[in-house]
Amino acid sequence: MNSVGEACTELKREYDQCFNRWFAEKFLKGDRSGDPCTETFRRYQRCVQKAIKEKDIPVDGVEFMGPNKDKPES
Amino acid sequence: MKIWSTEHVFSYPWETVIKAAMRKYPNPMNPNVVGVDVLDRTLDAEGRLHSHRLLSTEWGLPGIVRAILGTNQTQTYVKEHSIVDPDEKKMELCSTNITLTNLISVDERLLYRPHPENPGVTVLTQEAIITVKGVSLSSYLEGMMVRSMSANARKKCRVSLYCSL
Repeated sequence: MNSVGEACTELKREYDQCFNRWFAEKFLKGDRSGDPCTETFRRYQRCVQKAIKEKDIPVDGVEFMGPNKDKPES
Repeated sequence: MKIWSTEHVFSYPWETVIKAAMRKYPNPMNPNVVGVDVLDRTLDAEGRLHSHRLLSTEWGLPGIVRAILGTNQTQTYVKEHSIVDPDEKKMELCSTNITLTNLISVDERLLYRPHPENPGVTVLTQEAIITVKGVSLSSYLEGMMVRSMSANARKKCRVSLYCSL
């Protein structure tokens, strides 16, 4: 699966692999010790946030978890 | 406004289903989702995992439809918030579109829980509220979207862990 920023896909894959392993082998088994993916996530995020800005994707300002919230028109 | 809900049972334990749900895309049953990114991920004080994700979808709308809708956008974006509670064995996802909001609003909620009588089985409850705005055929379009979502949800759910919208 690609990232919304084409240049970030490789960094995303690296992070996803780390996360999926931690999720299955640690988190779901009740092991709450440290997150081994912080660094890969940081690198991945830097790229994604840049892509979001460049594509002008309106990620901010939308609160949800309920059908009664109003959304800004876009 | 149209409200749609459905329930589906997976013959797998909860942990197996949510590991698959976390890796739901790419999903051959829903090829419209072309990009997924994690925006934020944190553990709260109760040990639940919160994730905020951005999904980009490509509907391949023909030019004439885009002209009628008055949009040049080909990709639409959806924001999703999920909470995984490994102690309660509950995974909840809520998503909403963040583009084309002046035309349509699709708010979806999914909840994965073990079956109350059989821990080897998982129940997915899926519901959506669809509102088409400012278009004279709104009721018809809403009905069409609900039927499309319903048909997608039934597609091969029995044999696959992919349960798509």
